[in-house]
Amino acid sequence: MITTQLKYFLSFGIFFSIFSCSDEPVNPQSNYSEILKTETNQVIILTYYDLNEKAGLLSVRCDEFSSNKTQAHLDLMRQLWRDARKPWEQSEGFLFGPVDIQGIDPSIDSWPVNVIDLDAVLASSDPLTKEYLDGLEGTLKGFHTLEYLLFGIDGNKSVQEFTDRQIEYLKACAQSLKGETNKLHTAWISGPSPYGTILKTAGEPSNQVYLSQKSALQELLDGIITIADEVGNGKINDPFVTNNITLEESRFSANSKQDFADNIRSIQNIYFGSTDGNYNLNSLSGLIKTKDAALDSKIINQIQEAITAIINIPGTFTEAISANRAAVQNAQDQVRQLQLILESELKPLFDKL
Amino acid sequence: MLQREFWIITFTIGFFLSCTKNEEEPLNVLAGGKTTVFVENSNSFQFPAPNLSIEELEQHRLGDQAFEAIFVTAPATNNSGLGPLFNQSACGSCHPKNGRSVFSENPGDLAGLLFRLSITGKGPHGEPLAVPGFGGQLQTKANLGKPAEANVDYQFKYVNGTFADGELYELRQAIFSLTNSYIPIPGGTLISPRMAPPVFGLGLLEFISESEILKNEDIQDSNGDGISGKANWVWDVQKSSIQLGRFGWKAGQPDLVQQAAAAYNEDMGVTNPLFKIESSTGQRQQDSLKDDPEIDQELLEQTAFYTRSLAVPAPRNQSDPTIQNGKRLFKKIGCEKCHLSSFKTGVSPFLFLSNQSIQPYTDLLLHDMGDALSDGRPDFNASGNEWRTPPLWGIGLTLLVNGHTHFLHDGRARNLQEAILWHEGEAKSSRDQFIKLNKSERSAILKFILSL
Repeated sequence: MITTQLKYFLSFGIFFSIFSCSDEPVNPQSNYSEILKTETNQVIILTYYDLNEKAGLLSVRCDEFSSNKTQAHLDLMRQLWRDARKPWEQSEGFLFGPVDIQGIDPSIDSWPVNVIDLDAVLASSDPLTKEYLDGLEGTLKGFHTLEYLLFGIDGNKSVQEFTDRQIEYLKACAQSLKGETNKLHTAWISGPSPYGTILKTAGEPSNQVYLSQKSALQELLDGIITIADEVGNGKINDPFVTNNITLEESRFSANSKQDFADNIRSIQNIYFGSTDGNYNLNSLSGLIKTKDAALDSKIINQIQEAITAIINIPGTFTEAISANRAAVQNAQDQVRQLQLILESELKPLFDKL
Repeated sequence: MLQREFWIITFTIGFFLSCTKNEEEPLNVLAGGKTTVFVENSNSFQFPAPNLSIEELEQHRLGDQAFEAIFVTAPATNNSGLGPLFNQSACGSCHPKNGRSVFSENPGDLAGLLFRLSITGKGPHGEPLAVPGFGGQLQTKANLGKPAEANVDYQFKYVNGTFADGELYELRQAIFSLTNSYIPIPGGTLISPRMAPPVFGLGLLEFISESEILKNEDIQDSNGDGISGKANWVWDVQKSSIQLGRFGWKAGQPDLVQQAAAAYNEDMGVTNPLFKIESSTGQRQQDSLKDDPEIDQELLEQTAFYTRSLAVPAPRNQSDPTIQNGKRLFKKIGCEKCHLSSFKTGVSPFLFLSNQSIQPYTDLLLHDMGDALSDGRPDFNASGNEWRTPPLWGIGLTLLVNGHTHFLHDGRARNLQEAILWHEGEAKSSRDQFIKLNKSERSAILKFILSL
């Protein structure tokens, strides 16, 4: 879901900066192919690889659950859900390409869960297979349905509460998720027209999607601005302003703070051109460092400020939106500040590339 | 930071960055007037008009959330009311990134392709007559435990042709069939496939004055140029009167609120103040809940406002000599007789839409497009052969935004050239002239259209 305020003022930046730049000196055309290669290979494809691996591990453990129905195994599945969730949230800074145009996102991350229909399926005698779930709406599969099944609506579901049908559904749901993550990873690396190649070859005469490298770089930039906007003005804002915990996306697992922090890490990863927290020369950061080193430092610092503020919210996000509103407000402010810097200071630099 | 303060800072930054003297730069074409943005990536159809006020931006943001909201089966805590029958569960499912839906390679998943149904005759307001047991639209999905109305299958039919310079071309058309219907489909049912179109720039089209549109009508082709142009006149639910139709493939909807309301009701099975009755009423899929309308007028207005206030992407590379030549040829072979480039919006209660000089490349009128494109299903005053000219603005960004180049009302065209070659009826002369052009001239026209 892409809904938030900074996206809207993004348009102001685009509008005004385009008009503003035509009488300014334009930098000579540079070659950004190394940056595009690094971002594609070292961040995007690596993140999707990790997601696919983690979804596989979760699926294996879910398959075993019916023969190993213990609290320890349930705890393990829950941890593996969190582990798989992490690269997914860290991919939300680049929600373009196959995840969108092949309609994969709704199968992975639809919200809310369709509880009425889920109950209807469980009460039916339909065979609960991967193929069956593949044909269902997104709100009946993916991360949030798995979360609902694994944690329960209050996050305290016990092993004894799992029915045989729920276990069958859980297994099929994890297999279906794994199928989607595999599809996503594959779409970037293989087939007649891997999206990784499309992004890396932006601006080449054969590339009909990204007619310029600048267009591809702006895609990356818009991606990180969009997720900053989404976290600050959607994911945090909606439950916080309305004081409505049912609007919190990962409430069942109490994983929201982790989600938000990983979303900001997705910005960091794209900005640094790596997923390990280390700066890569061929990255957005490397590019900006040569043009405005102070701005580069400011962005790096603000990314960290936003992550820290999110992590420092006491307790769960559910508790904090009523019990620690100042901490939530601070986290929201730091994320919004990051978005503001990306939009009002970084984007104009990109427009002049 | 308070939300309002945040926006004020944003505006301030925008104005400091601005340099409006360049608006006069002739090659920076403002296709959407002051609602234009200059963006060339997959978000190109997703920006709010840059001339919205702070309050309007907030309205737009709420509308964005409404547009993206995924509905689920009632009763539910959030987004309740999907179905019992539906085609998709969110506006964004048919209009990905506010753009054009793909023609799915899998008949089991139609994406944004749906089918209007009717039987011969007209209702009291001139509307198509609903099919007993199926209503006015085929719903291919249903809440769990209820049967969908039918599935859709298709087989491709291929048509081959030759350009005047000897180059061969192939056109592809899907021949649809309805299968596994929950009850037999009545004989004589008329079926019209409709592919979901992009939703940006619609506010501007909504506020072109009626007189500006009607002055291009030429129903009897009195000027003898082979192009008629006819307005559709349709039932306005809110006004309880007949009004000019503007939206949809046959201009069957008068405004964006009704367009949104009809989509909620028919596409998602979500009842609303304009259409309070479930689309499944009278069928065995109908639910017994007393929750109608399932969304309120405010949400409906928010959704309509979102489509009303989206920015129009600017054309690109207009100084390219090939594109300039393509533009000249586009006009020369008569494309612009229907795909009108120039309009001015009238006065709108939404100031950001008022008095904007725009280049939508549509006349919002119905034209006979020939038998090959006909759906054989009348829709108010539109015959089976008649379709409303679709706008061309932003069309060249379809591959970047949506990952495909499928065009026309049923998505049959695999690229822009195929879309042109399907043009017949009033557009046959232009189509034939296109066929007679040499390869570089054809390429120039295509490049021009793709630059829009």
